[in-house]
Amino acid sequence: MPTRERAAELRVDRVACTGHGACAALLDRVRLDDWGYPIVEDAVAAAASRDVDAALALCPARALYLTGSLRLTRRS
Amino acid sequence: MRPNAKLLDDLTAAGLTGRGGAAFSTGIKVRAAFRNRADLIVNACDGEIGASKDAVVVAAHLDELIRGAELVAPHYRQRVLFAAHRGSPTLAQLADARLEVLAVPHRYVSSEASALVSLAQGGLGRPFAKRVDPVDGGRDSTGRRVHPTVVLNAETVWRVAQIAQHGPGWFRARGTHAEPGPRLATVTGYLSRPTVVETEAGVPLRELLDAAGGLPGDARSVLIGGLGGAFLTADEALGVRWSTDDLRRYGAALGPGVVTVLDPTRCPLDIVGEFLDYAAGETAGQCGPCMFGLPAVATAWRQLRRSGSDAALGELRRHLGLLPGRGACAFPTGVARFGTSALRVFAGHVEQHRAGACSYRREAAHAHA
Amino acid sequence: MTSELLWYASRATGVASIVLLTAIVVLGTLLSGRRARPATAAVRTALHRWLSLGMVVFLVVHIVTAVSEGFVKIGWLAVVVPFVSGWQPGWVGLGALAVDLMVALLVTSWLRPRLPERAWRAVHWAAYALWPLALVHGLMLGTANEPVLRGVTIACAAAGASFVAWRSLSSPADRNRRRDVLAGEWS
Repeated sequence: MPTRERAAELRVDRVACTGHGACAALLDRVRLDDWGYPIVEDAVAAAASRDVDAALALCPARALYLTGSLRLTRRS
Repeated sequence: MRPNAKLLDDLTAAGLTGRGGAAFSTGIKVRAAFRNRADLIVNACDGEIGASKDAVVVAAHLDELIRGAELVAPHYRQRVLFAAHRGSPTLAQLADARLEVLAVPHRYVSSEASALVSLAQGGLGRPFAKRVDPVDGGRDSTGRRVHPTVVLNAETVWRVAQIAQHGPGWFRARGTHAEPGPRLATVTGYLSRPTVVETEAGVPLRELLDAAGGLPGDARSVLIGGLGGAFLTADEALGVRWSTDDLRRYGAALGPGVVTVLDPTRCPLDIVGEFLDYAAGETAGQCGPCMFGLPAVATAWRQLRRSGSDAALGELRRHLGLLPGRGACAFPTGVARFGTSALRVFAGHVEQHRAGACSYRREAAHAHA
Repeated sequence: MTSELLWYASRATGVASIVLLTAIVVLGTLLSGRRARPATAAVRTALHRWLSLGMVVFLVVHIVTAVSEGFVKIGWLAVVVPFVSGWQPGWVGLGALAVDLMVALLVTSWLRPRLPERAWRAVHWAAYALWPLALVHGLMLGTANEPVLRGVTIACAAAGASFVAWRSLSSPADRNRRRDVLAGEWS
């Protein structure tokens, strides 16, 4: 259950993700595996990154979202 | 509807955790279910490879199971479904008892909690990404809104009824502090009397094996937790306690309580290869790392079996490392655990394959395909 | 503003809208086709969305100038209701249909986080109907005596068609694998 005390984390909706890789281009903490799907190396740092809003907006599949914070902008 | 506060207190005091594998606090789940007036799905699928304890709960403790379901979902508007695989005796027994049943397709991931929720809503039996826990609602893979639903393993629901009747003290009298209460275990495979036993955390694993006729002298390895679990050598199995604290050092946990003794007359790399080939065909095809990663693991394992080389080993480890936590459900995580532990336990046998001298070649029909 | 000026403005902004719409459709085919480098995906996504705002601006000017020009009778209702225009109801009607589809596309894209994904996807497919409607509307109205405008419109049609053809032949591995697994028993 979401709480407000926990730090925000960047999560990938693995079903929605179709491997465009825009997130890896925009975020340092995200790289791609052999098939182009994101590996989030540090979910908390990625969520706090300056470019996270751009990454959230520019995912063509809208597969990125944040948890653990007050922000509930994605489908929920 | 006034939530049953006594039940919540009892469940919390008893420390009941899910018996389906994830071992989440049942008290917390039921509290959320009450809060949302959630529907209930009782999972009697025995989804893990080799499991049959859910079938025993339905066959031998159906009245208590129904009582437990009523406690978790008491309001007439709350839908209660009993899930079991299509064509299984368990499903027939549930239907005969005039319970509302959910017939589950014969896919490994179809008995996963969110897959059951999706199926119950008229969708496919495939897990969905849980941006929101299904007990709070959310949406499934097609975007359809999910009615708040709690999924509990059949044994867990049975224990709820028992705790309500006998009290948390009775429950805590067995097991360990971290893993209290009686629990069922399926002991199966290369044994004289495969069985489902009622046991508890903390007893020697040897006791479970004895209930099934004892670990045969020629047995070499034991699998704890099926396709999502981990391997132990026979010696390790005879020396370890049946508790996650003890099993953790081998990468294993109590999980869904399945103990499988491997057939020592077959090459273990063949056995593991069969499991991994099966896993590759059981992806729900929704998450990149799983739908591409599992076939890659199966192929890498086949390569390792063929050559035993360091390169093949490295490639396999790399692919296994890309699985944990990168799917919508725990399936790829489980396969990674399974594969990694297979490498630990069968490292010696891999050496034989590297030398092109698998000891099982002397047996009939051993094909390194 | 003289009627003639409005008429020119209407046709110019109409063609500009078609050029932008074609660029948007092309970017869409690239995004849904075989995967490119990550940075490319980010840029294409941003352009695909931002150009649609630019297109809306040109489209609004196109509609306003066309209707207020007055020499031909179109009427404001005909902007959204197909085939009720006094002048050239058929070809103007195609434009109205295109406007209706476009509004649906824009609204569902704007509301995407709140909609079931399949609803967004179903409406988005309508882009493949919207684009030809706009092209035919443009070709049949106001480009007959304007070789430059006609040439640009035809070039858009050709360019867009080749990208759509490419897209229909090149599915990304992700889509193929999903489709193959979905064929199994899941219910």
